[in-house]
Amino acid sequence: MTFSLPVILQAVASGLMIGGVFALISIGLTLIWGVMKIINFAHGEFLMIGLYLAYFLVTKFGIDPYLTILITTPVLFFVGIGIFQVSIKPILKHPPMNQIMLTLGISLILQNLALVLFKADVLSVRTRYTGINYHFGGVVVTLTELIAFFGSILATLALYYILKTTDIGRWIRAAAQNPTAATLQGVDVRFTYLLAFGIGSACLGVAASLLLPFYYVSPTVGLFLGLIAFVVVVLGGMGNFLGAFVGGLIIGLTESLGAAIMPGSLSRVLTFGIFILFLLFRPQGILSRRQA
Amino acid sequence: MKQMKQYREFLVPLVVFALAAFLPLFLKTYYMHIAILILIWAYLATSWNILGGYAGQHSLGHGLYMGIGAYASTYLALEFGLTPWVGIFVGMAFAAIAGWFVGYAAFRYGLKGAYFALVTIALTEAAVYVVSNWKAMGGAAGLEVKYLGTDPFMMQFDSKLPYFYIILFMTLLAVLTAQWLNRRRFGYRLIAVRENEEAAEAMGVNTLGTKINANVLSAVMTAAGGTFFAQYFTYVGPRVVFGEVVSVQILLFAIIGGLGTVWGPLVGAVILVPVAEIARAELGTQFQGAHLLLYGGVLVFTMLFMPNGIVGLAKSIRARFGKTPDDTMSVSASEGGAS
Amino acid sequence: MTPLLEVKNLTKVFGGLTAVGDLTFHVDRGEIVGLIGPNGAGKTTCFNLLAGAMTPTSGSVHFKGEDVTGRKSHQMCKLGLTRTFQVVQPFPDITALENVMIGAFVRHGSTGAAERKAREVLDVVGIAHKADTLGRDLTLMELKRLEIGKGLATEPDLLLLDEVAAGLTPVEIDDILTLVRRLNSEGMTFLVVEHVMKVIMNLSHRIVVLNFGSQIAEGTPAEISKNPAVLDAYLGEEEYVA
Repeated sequence: MTFSLPVILQAVASGLMIGGVFALISIGLTLIWGVMKIINFAHGEFLMIGLYLAYFLVTKFGIDPYLTILITTPVLFFVGIGIFQVSIKPILKHPPMNQIMLTLGISLILQNLALVLFKADVLSVRTRYTGINYHFGGVVVTLTELIAFFGSILATLALYYILKTTDIGRWIRAAAQNPTAATLQGVDVRFTYLLAFGIGSACLGVAASLLLPFYYVSPTVGLFLGLIAFVVVVLGGMGNFLGAFVGGLIIGLTESLGAAIMPGSLSRVLTFGIFILFLLFRPQGILSRRQA
Repeated sequence: MKQMKQYREFLVPLVVFALAAFLPLFLKTYYMHIAILILIWAYLATSWNILGGYAGQHSLGHGLYMGIGAYASTYLALEFGLTPWVGIFVGMAFAAIAGWFVGYAAFRYGLKGAYFALVTIALTEAAVYVVSNWKAMGGAAGLEVKYLGTDPFMMQFDSKLPYFYIILFMTLLAVLTAQWLNRRRFGYRLIAVRENEEAAEAMGVNTLGTKINANVLSAVMTAAGGTFFAQYFTYVGPRVVFGEVVSVQILLFAIIGGLGTVWGPLVGAVILVPVAEIARAELGTQFQGAHLLLYGGVLVFTMLFMPNGIVGLAKSIRARFGKTPDDTMSVSASEGGAS
Repeated sequence: MTPLLEVKNLTKVFGGLTAVGDLTFHVDRGEIVGLIGPNGAGKTTCFNLLAGAMTPTSGSVHFKGEDVTGRKSHQMCKLGLTRTFQVVQPFPDITALENVMIGAFVRHGSTGAAERKAREVLDVVGIAHKADTLGRDLTLMELKRLEIGKGLATEPDLLLLDEVAAGLTPVEIDDILTLVRRLNSEGMTFLVVEHVMKVIMNLSHRIVVLNFGSQIAEGTPAEISKNPAVLDAYLGEEEYVA
């Protein structure tokens, strides 16, 4: 509970770093919401899958944590499209609450499957990147946080590029704006939804590999990170790509500044407080509504 | 005679619960425990159903009210020696205030569907962190109800029997409330709000007031369940009575049993709780979370294959064989809706 | 005698766009007043303002002599002004009878009384035989009748009908017009928005013509049909439509 300048600066630096990862996590969620108007409550659990996968790749096979991206990303892509095919696709036209209940059910399954398989232990890795710090005039930034931050930005830019310039991106944007018109133009909307769900999930594979070296994994890790993703997405405006990025940074800052000046885990109350205020007073988000 | 007819609708619940009162004659202690668990969840789901099923406002944060009820009575008993028989009403009063504020804030600003779900989830999660950092409330460790052996004045018993009758009575009251709503103006207004708010408002229904009242009624009932929960398990913790997972469990049985029906929540709990408890008892030490895994699976199955729940399914089967449904309160959620 | 409904200088501005501008007219008890105008003339906005679904930017609405400007929909309904919707708005998962009962509960607290009133209304609008059919299972014609029934059940002094003829065949339109005339002869006052000129000319005692949110004419059907401003407005639209 010190308010000294170095403490604040340190919190700002850490907040921005983790905020970058929050942004990447949330962009997957906002993409799925923007395209098919489905809120995936299992989003955090998808990330948990990625974290466990990366953890075992690092600890059991000795793979460099950042190289696991090459495995976690495609695996999460296929996890996403698999779950979409089996459970989301059949209820695309059902009332929104049924979809929420369904994804809540999936999150319960995944969370407790992890609990059954891996127990409640909180796991983390030590790699050759661990313990390398950089000092910027009193502010300490770890290498792993820096890599996560810039990696997240790179991944976000790559996704943005895909959506803006490729055919897949054009289909996705067309399906998001007007499914009927897109169908008339020859876009296979269901297939596009499938791709979008896969890509939205694949983001979590990247995020998991970037996050693991300085974070932890446990069956309930998705509960909190999933909620954070909702906060960020609402802050940025549901379906708003750029908004999610800005929102991620804001929530990263809120979390770390809150932790620096408030006792215990009360910063979480601050985060949820901001969330509630936004839902009530500015549900369209901080930025004006713009589609990805 | 006319008076009699008016109350005939309550006959079925009264008979069913009167029969249930004889169950302890046949059940061993362990099965008594399961029966009590069934009734706890049936009670909570019935309370949630008034807001979620009848009025169509799907709160994902009812843990907030359950927690308020559980913590209020437990704290007052520990700190001031207040009997939970009074504490339960204090908890209900606090929940009424919380329910009013939540309802007013959410509905005044027009939150619907997913947005209402998100706001309620945020509130119940925020409550977890508030309580975890609140020393008087025991922080993250929670509060333990002081063990007094059998002390009816403090709602404590060594035998399961009194707990069974308390929660049986509470569940009866909840089911009677649902039955009462089925054929009363307030109940019809809840349905109107669920089905079409704009039309309801144009037909003289104060939709904002109706939704707030539904939220308060549902919250108050849920809080009473929280007090009982605390007394029965003699422990309350932030994630035990608040939080997202508890909140999902509260609504689970209503969704699976049949949204917006009188018997759905009870049917859902009767079918699901025993299986989950056996799973927990058999696999719990080895496989923690097995029962929640089951709940998740059943929830997914329900949404995919019988979105109107067990009672809804039974009704549509009956309708197919030529009988007209007599109870039209269920939400039909199979087709359309999402744009 | 004060008119049942008195609208003075009613204005609604959305952003920079004036949807309804400086509208003044009245409805007397026992009348059928038609509100017409080409597409986008502000008829529906006007209805929303009168029924309390929107708050006017300026101007006033008096109902039964009382200033009711800015009241909410349910308050207007309780005062005796009920509206129907152009796109029918049934409660899909409850029966036709229960649909109408929701309206009847405005004046009746007990379920028995509300049910009796609802059955009476279903009889009046001619769908008593559909009392136990779910809202979702009714045909469009039945839904139009239900829509009027839901309004009638609130026992209004003034019923606002929003394009009851839309989507119906000529025969069905005649049926609905007969129903409205009969209700009127029994004392019910109507304000009717209608796009189809023929319908409104047949039905109304008096017509208010809107264009671009403002009143451009008022008078009996005979007067209106000869009014050059009205003909211009509609000719302009026909060109636009074609």
